[in-house]
Amino acid sequence: MILEMISNIFLILGAFFALTGAVGLFKFPDFFTRVHAASVTDSIATILLFSGLILRTEFDLVTVKLVFVLVFLLLTSPTASHALAKSARHGLLATSAETLSKTNKDNN
Amino acid sequence: MTNKMITHLTIWTITLSVFWLLLSGFLQPLLLAFGVFSVALVIVLLQRMDNVDQQPVKPALGLPIWRYSLWLIGQVIGSSVNVAKLVWLGNKALTPAVEKLPLTDIPAKNRVLYANSITLTPGTLSIDIDDQHVTVHALEKASIEELKAGDMAHKIAAVFGGKAQ
Repeated sequence: MILEMISNIFLILGAFFALTGAVGLFKFPDFFTRVHAASVTDSIATILLFSGLILRTEFDLVTVKLVFVLVFLLLTSPTASHALAKSARHGLLATSAETLSKTNKDNN
Repeated sequence: MTNKMITHLTIWTITLSVFWLLLSGFLQPLLLAFGVFSVALVIVLLQRMDNVDQQPVKPALGLPIWRYSLWLIGQVIGSSVNVAKLVWLGNKALTPAVEKLPLTDIPAKNRVLYANSITLTPGTLSIDIDDQHVTVHALEKASIEELKAGDMAHKIAAVFGGKAQ
């Protein structure tokens, strides 16, 4: 009963942070800042949703498998973000900070 | 084969067997035989590859990695709340910044963990890594200052007993 309540709180919070990531993806100005928004969904939302799911299991092998999925997601999703950001960087996409300082220089 | 090599492979065998058992949960002889076969295959491959690159890597299962993970989850929660605030309260407060942080204090095999931890923490993103530096993009300048203070770097250097190297 108590476990179910805690699990509900975790699931709702997780859903909230997943939504936050999605909203941030639209709200933030450029590619790199958007990756930050997406990483909210990658990290905290994943942790909260899986903790919520784990509390709903019977604490058997299913629990262990959920823990494995959580660990692998936490290892792979930053790697994917890094791969995206790195290829953007190597494709010479400027960050908004750099674009700003460049326009300032052009104006002066 | 030296003694060190044998202990190394034994540790991996035990880890992989436990992993296989937890994933499968079946104890019929046929399936167990499949499990034994796949663990043996991986161990043979591991031994051959260690011979080629001469850099055997131990599975990190000790206390330090757990302590570090707990600390990292704390960091993730803190910075997530921060980024969530930035998302919901308008984007005027954004001060994106890019900076190169030195990697020289961190042993080579811990660098992946460092770059991955930076990316996992919302608000900071590792966008490039080379022999001396990791390039970090941050939503706010303050997060870069925090990384520069070196709290995370020190903790990571200690995870695999890096201080001895």
